Amino acid sequence: MTAPLSARLLGGLIVIVTGLVMLVPLAVVVAASFSESAFLVFPPRGFSLRWYGEILGSEAYLSAAWTSLRIAVVVTLLAVAIGTPAAIALSRPATPWREPLAGLFLSPLVLPTLIFGIGLLMTASLFFGGPGIGGLIIGHLVICVPYVIRTVTAVLSRADPRLEEAARCMGAGLWQKYWHVILPQCRTGIAAGAFFAFNISFDDAVVALFLRAPGVETLPIRIYSQLEFSPDPGVAAVSTLMILVSVLLVLLIDRAVGLDRMA
Amino acid sequence: MSDRITAAARRESLALLAPGIAVLLLAFLLPVAVILVTSVRDPAGGLTAAHFAKFFVDDYYLRIAWRTLRLALAITAVTVIFGLPLAWIMVRAGPRLRFAIMLMVILPLMTSVVIRTFGWLVVLGNGGLLARLGEFLGLDGRALVLMHTETGVVIAMAQVLLPFMVLTLLGVLRAIPRDLEEAARTMGAGFWATMRLVVLPLAVPGIVSGSLIVFALSISSFITPSLVGGVRLPVLASSIYQSIGGSFDWPFAAAQSVLLLAATLAVIIPYTRLARGRT
Amino acid sequence: MAELKIEGVAKTFGQTRVLHDIDVTVPDGGFLSLLGPSGCGKTTLMRIVAGLEVPSAGRVLIGGRDVTDLAPEARNIALMFQSYALMPHLTVAENVRFPLRMRRQGSRAEQEARVAEALELVQLSALAGRMPRQLSGGQQQRVALARAIVARPDVLLLDEPLSNLDARLREDMQVELIELHRRLKLTTVFVTHDQDEALSLSDRVAVMQGGRIEQEDAPDALYDRPATRFVAEFIGGANVIELAPPGALGVSGARLVLPPGAAPEGARAVALRQEDLALTADSAGADYALPVKIETRIFLGARARYRLRAGGLVLLAMVPRGALAQADVATHVVWSAQAMRFLSR
Repeated sequence: MTAPLSARLLGGLIVIVTGLVMLVPLAVVVAASFSESAFLVFPPRGFSLRWYGEILGSEAYLSAAWTSLRIAVVVTLLAVAIGTPAAIALSRPATPWREPLAGLFLSPLVLPTLIFGIGLLMTASLFFGGPGIGGLIIGHLVICVPYVIRTVTAVLSRADPRLEEAARCMGAGLWQKYWHVILPQCRTGIAAGAFFAFNISFDDAVVALFLRAPGVETLPIRIYSQLEFSPDPGVAAVSTLMILVSVLLVLLIDRAVGLDRMA
Repeated sequence: MSDRITAAARRESLALLAPGIAVLLLAFLLPVAVILVTSVRDPAGGLTAAHFAKFFVDDYYLRIAWRTLRLALAITAVTVIFGLPLAWIMVRAGPRLRFAIMLMVILPLMTSVVIRTFGWLVVLGNGGLLARLGEFLGLDGRALVLMHTETGVVIAMAQVLLPFMVLTLLGVLRAIPRDLEEAARTMGAGFWATMRLVVLPLAVPGIVSGSLIVFALSISSFITPSLVGGVRLPVLASSIYQSIGGSFDWPFAAAQSVLLLAATLAVIIPYTRLARGRT
Repeated sequence: MAELKIEGVAKTFGQTRVLHDIDVTVPDGGFLSLLGPSGCGKTTLMRIVAGLEVPSAGRVLIGGRDVTDLAPEARNIALMFQSYALMPHLTVAENVRFPLRMRRQGSRAEQEARVAEALELVQLSALAGRMPRQLSGGQQQRVALARAIVARPDVLLLDEPLSNLDARLREDMQVELIELHRRLKLTTVFVTHDQDEALSLSDRVAVMQGGRIEQEDAPDALYDRPATRFVAEFIGGANVIELAPPGALGVSGARLVLPPGAAPEGARAVALRQEDLALTADSAGADYALPVKIETRIFLGARARYRLRAGGLVLLAMVPRGALAQADVATHVVWSAQAMRFLSR
C-alpha cells in the first residue's frame, strides 16, 4: 500500500533510532575490547588483542567461565528432560487441569526472577545449610524449563494429533509411540528450547547474585563485580566473547523454529 | 471401556508432568512460601506485620515505591511509542527487512543483562559516547551524561523490554487483514486517518497486553537500575537486594518481595486473561 | 458517476509482467465485467483503477480527469472487497457512514440520513446497530454493498463480491445487483471468474487471459461470436477443433477435415458449442455429420453431457433431457453450418 513520504521518513527514522539504541551499547563493548590502553575510554585508542590474551590467561575468568559452562550444560540437559514431557502432556486435551498447570509452568517467564533468587536463598539457608551450586542449578531450572515448554508446545501445536492414534492403530506400543512418533515431531522445539535454556543459564546474573556462595562464581557475576569496582577493557573482551555466544544461539534458534515464532 | 482408556491417558499425562511438578514445588512454590512466612514472622516465631509497616511508614521507602512505579510507567510508554510503528513496519515489510528488525530487537534480550548494562555505562557515562558526541557537536557534554539519571534508566530499560512489546504487538497486528487498511483508503481515509481509525483501535488489545508485561518486568528489574541509576536512585528491587546483602534484614527483604510479587500479580493476572482470550 | 477510461495500462511485478497494454472504456453508467481465470490480471487491473497499485505504464481517467498518480483516498471510487473488509470495531451503521465521514460529505445528520437510505436499499435497516461479526455472510455482503454505494462514487468496483456466498444466495444477489445498478446508474466494474455472473449482470464483458484482454464485447456477442480459442473455450466450454487441410468431411488424427469452401481463408480452428451438437442414428439431411462412438454419459438433470469419439477427435455434446432416448442409440453427431465459429488464432 502507498504510504506517504512523511510516513516513510518517520518509519525509517524510527527503525534507525531503535537500531542505534538496541545495538550501539553492544557495539561499544565490542569496540572497547580491542583497545590498547589500560582504561575504558571512548573512542578506544589503538587496536590490540592484548586484553583477550589477558583474560585467557586470567585464572579468575577461566574458572568463572568453567563454572558457568558446567552449570549451563547441566541446566540445559535437565530443562529438556523435564520440559519436553511436560510440554507433550500440556499439548493433550485429555490432560487434567491443563489450563491452570500450563499457567503455572509458564509463570516464571513473567514473574520477577529476583523472587526466585531470594526464595531459593532463604530456602537454602533454612533447610540446606546455605546456598551452593545445587541451588543455583535449581534456580536456573525454574526459569529455563518454561522456554523448553513453550518452544516444544509451539511445535506440537502444528503437529497432527491423529498421528499418535494412527501409530497405535499400526500397533505401536507405549515406548514405540514416544520414540518413533512423538519425540521426532518435537525435535526442532527441543533444539530451540535447549538453545534458549543454555543462553538464559549462561547469561543469568540475577539468580546467581543471590545464590552467590564461596567458590561458585559465574561469568556474569565476575563481570558484575568488575563493573561495580573498576571496569577495564578486559571486561569488554569477556563480554564480547559472551555476545558472540548469544549471537550464535540466536541464529541457531532462528534455524530451528524461526525467530517469528518466539512471540 | 472408554473410562479405562481415559484413565490410562490421564495416568500417562500425569507421569509426563511429574518431574516438572516436582521442580515447581521445590524451586517455585516452596521458596515463595518461605518468603511469605519470613515476611510475617517476628524473631520469637510469632506473627507480625512490622516488616510491612516499616515500608509504609518510612518516607524513604515510599519514595522508592513511587520511583519504581514512575520509571515503569515511563518505560512502558517509551516501548509503546517505538514498538507500535516497529511492529507495523515488520508486518508490512518484506521478509529481509522483517528479519533484520527482528534480529536487532531480539539481540539485546539474548545478551546478558550485565553486558547490556556495561554497554550503557560506556555510552551514558562520564566521557562516554553520548557525552563525546555532544562535545563534538558543540553541546555541553555534561548535560548528556545520563548516568545516575532516571532518563538513563528509562533508555537502558526500554532497550531490553522493547522486544516483549514488539512481539506481543506483532501477534495482534498480523491478525488485522490488510484489506481493512485498503478499504479505508478507497473510502477516502488518508494514510494517517487509516492508522488512527483502523489500525490503532484494532491494535488496542496488543497495546494493553504488551504494556502489562513490560510494566511487570520493569518493576522487578534491578541490575540495570542499580548500575545505571546508582545508589542515589534506588528502586524497589535494588532496595530488596540491599536488605539482603547490605543490612542483612531478611524479614524486611521478604516483606518487600511480597509487595513486589503482589504488584506483579496484579498486572499479570489480567495479562494472562487477555492472552487466553486471543487464542 | 463518470466515464472510466483505461489507456495503455501495463504492470510488472519484479520480472513478471502481469498486465500488457490494457485499453478499455466503461461509459458513464455502464457495467463492465472483467472475466478470467485466477492469475489473469483482472484483480490487478481493478486495484490499479482503485489506486491500490501504481501502473508501470499507461493512464487511468475518471470523468476525463487523469487520476493515475492520485492516492486511493483522493479518487472518488468505491471498492467492495471479496472479503467484504468490514471494520470489526465499528457497527453496521458506522461502517456504512465511514466513507461519508472520510469524505466529509454533508453534516452528521445528513450522513445519517444517507446511511439509513443505503441500509434501506439493501434491506438491512433492522441491523444498523449490530457489529459485523454478529451477521451472517449474506448480511455482511449487503453491508459491504451499502458501504460501497453510499457515497455515490464515480466508479464502483466489485471484486468477486459473490464468491463467498452459497449458490442460492448468489442468485438472489445477482438479481439485486441488477436492480441496484438500474436504479443508481453507477459506473461499475465487476471482477469475476464466473462466466454466468459476468454474462447475466453486465452490459459489456472483457475476457482476460495472461494479462491481456482477449475480447471485449456484449455478453451475447461474446457467446455467439468468440474471437479467440480461449474465449470460445472459457465461455460455455465450446469444442475447439483444429482444422486439417480441406478434403472429404472426416477426421484426420485429432483434426477435422472440412470440404473445400466450408471454412473461410485463414481459419485455423473451428468452435462448436456443446448444445449445437445433436446425436442421432439418422444423419440424413444434416449439414454436417460424423460417425461417432459414445464413450460416457454424465446425467445433469435437465440435460446430459456426452463424451464422443470420432477417430482421434474427442467431442463434448450437451443433450436436452427429452432427446436422451434417441441419443443413447445414436451413431452420428450432426451440426448445422451456422453453428460453426471459425477462429484464425
